[in-house]
Amino acid sequence: MSRARGWLAASVLGVAVAAVALPGPVALAQGQGAPAQDWKKEFEEVCAKTQDAMALPLKELESLVARCDKLKPTIEKLDESQRKVYARRLKVCRDLYQFVIESRVKE
Amino acid sequence: MRRWVLFLAVSAVFAGSAFAEQPGSKKRRPLPPEFGRVIINNTSEKAGMAAVSFDHWYHRAKYTCRVCHVDVGFAMKPGATGIKAADNQAGFYCGACHNGKLVVDGRTVFESCGKALIGENRQACLRCHSVGKNVPPSIDFKAFTKNLPVGRLGNGVDWEKAEEAGLIKPSDFLEGVSIPRQPMTAQKDFALTAKLQGMPEIIFSHKKHTVWNGCELCHPEIFVGVKKGATKYSMVEIFDGKYCGACHVTVAFPLTDCGRCHTRPVQ
Ligand code: HEC
Ligand code: HEC
Ligand code: HEC
Ligand code: HEC
Ligand code: HEC
Ligand code: HEC
Repeated sequence: MSRARGWLAASVLGVAVAAVALPGPVALAQGQGAPAQDWKKEFEEVCAKTQDAMALPLKELESLVARCDKLKPTIEKLDESQRKVYARRLKVCRDLYQFVIESRVKE
Repeated sequence: MRRWVLFLAVSAVFAGSAFAEQPGSKKRRPLPPEFGRVIINNTSEKAGMAAVSFDHWYHRAKYTCRVCHVDVGFAMKPGATGIKAADNQAGFYCGACHNGKLVVDGRTVFESCGKALIGENRQACLRCHSVGKNVPPSIDFKAFTKNLPVGRLGNGVDWEKAEEAGLIKPSDFLEGVSIPRQPMTAQKDFALTAKLQGMPEIIFSHKKHTVWNGCELCHPEIFVGVKKGATKYSMVEIFDGKYCGACHVTVAFPLTDCGRCHTRPVQ
């Protein structure tokens, strides 16, 4: 039940992210003065918790991994420099959460 | 008996590792200022520029490993990041700091790969594109490290003590690049002591390493084993740059300082 709710939350968020991400490249073209893009906000929220990963409940870790996966296609559409940097940052963040999940499951 | 085993292991290590001069390559132990130096040359020489030389000693005194290797996104292998002049110009990689705007210690950090400078002021380019150019450094290694606690090997500096004594204060945050982080919460089920459950005779502080490196740098890339103590790490692999050796061969205090990791004498 609560797992289903987690998924629901994740997909709602995903849709929201996808929706705001569409005009992303346009916003980017405006250069450095532009306000932080929405994908960036989502990235910063999702990946801010890595060093507290051990203290997070399993469900939250799973939802964080799902949010990373949802964000990936958006980041892959960014221009080359940003894509290189943020695709790697997103990957190491996602893989860390996944690593902590697996360490719980196996114990 | 145990001593003998150790002696043999050590001999094997010394015979088969970075210590042995590799035929052809004439590897010698780096001098203190050279320890942690990385030569980056995927594109430079092809584009008619000298290769890039990057030194860890200065940068690590100013920033944690995490700022560069997690937030800025540098890989931990020479050349593996694939840095391009265009990335630097757009404010990524070296250009995240070397942008002609950031001010550190009252000085504006010089710009990287700036278009405007091409042809005009090659001198500015030479500060990074310096391999083979005999460029005098603007920050003198001896003067910079003079008052720092002495370490036996590596840069000749005990970086951990330097930080503990507040002589260096590496920043853990780069404006516009790092994600603002809360101080680490006390975590249940997490070895915050200087011990790992599976390695009772090894000194290792999970907490200190996290502050310097960030979890993402070690897991899962360097340490994939998820069951405490399930993976056996051999010293030969570590000397080969795996596990602890991913950092402790080229940048953090080197492996020849056995006693800093082993609680029992191993040599
Ligand atoms: C100012 C940024 C910066 C900081 C701070 C920094 N590094 Fe690096 N590091 C780099 C760059 C750039 C490279 C080369 C990447 C490339 O060539 O793609 C590198 C490469 C490395 C390598 C590979 C070196 C080799 O010769 O094989 C290791 C290991 C490493 N770093 C560890 C660390 C550790 C440990 C710390 C903290 C004590 C640290 N770095 C701090 C930027 C940094
Ligand atoms: C996190 C910030 C940061 C990053 C990233 C960074 N640097 Fe620096 N670097 C600095 C600062 C600050 C200085 C000191 C500048 C000064 O005082 O003039 C510096 C100084 C240097 C110096 C001058 C040393 C001297 O004595 O003249 C070189 C060379 C250099 N960096 C190369 C690089 C290269 C190459 C890269 C990318 C591979 C890089 N740096 C990435 C912050 C950074
Ligand atoms: C802060 C350090 C830094 C400074 C200063 C710097 N560069 Fe670079 N530059 C780099 C790095 C790192 C690379 C990637 C090196 C490689 O892989 O060969 C690079 C690569 C290049 C390349 C190779 C082509 C490409 O697309 O990557 C050119 C050309 C270049 N720089 C031009 C310049 C010029 C011109 C200047 C002076 C105005 C300059 N750079 C100053 C760090 C710097
Ligand atoms: C310098 C590298 C390094 C850093 C940084 C690091 N770890 Fe570890 N971690 C290790 C090592 C080594 C082990 C022991 C592996 C073994 O026993 O095989 C370990 C074990 C673990 C384990 C499994 C054993 C346990 O204690 O439950 C988890 C989960 C873990 N780390 C999570 C994290 C998290 C979360 C962070 C950041 C807060 C982190 N690690 C930072 C090196 C590191
Ligand atoms: C950066 C930390 C570090 C340093 C420095 C270090 N070791 Fe180790 N060593 C380890 C770890 C981790 C293990 C694995 C322990 C385990 O699995 O219980 C290990 C295991 C060993 C072993 C037993 C396994 C094997 O490969 O035979 C020997 C012997 C050993 N080390 C000798 C040495 C000697 C000699 C030196 C100095 C030249 C040294 N070590 C320096 C971290 C270190
Ligand atoms: C991601 C890079 C990285 C890895 C991997 C790593 N270390 Fe370190 N370690 C550092 C840095 C940086 C320092 C700070 C001191 C320095 O640079 O000399 C440090 C300091 C230490 C210290 C002194 C502080 C303390 O914890 O008491 C010990 C001991 C140590 N490491 C042991 C280990 C062992 C054992 C392993 C493998 C299980 C390991 N390290 C893996 C980067 C690393």
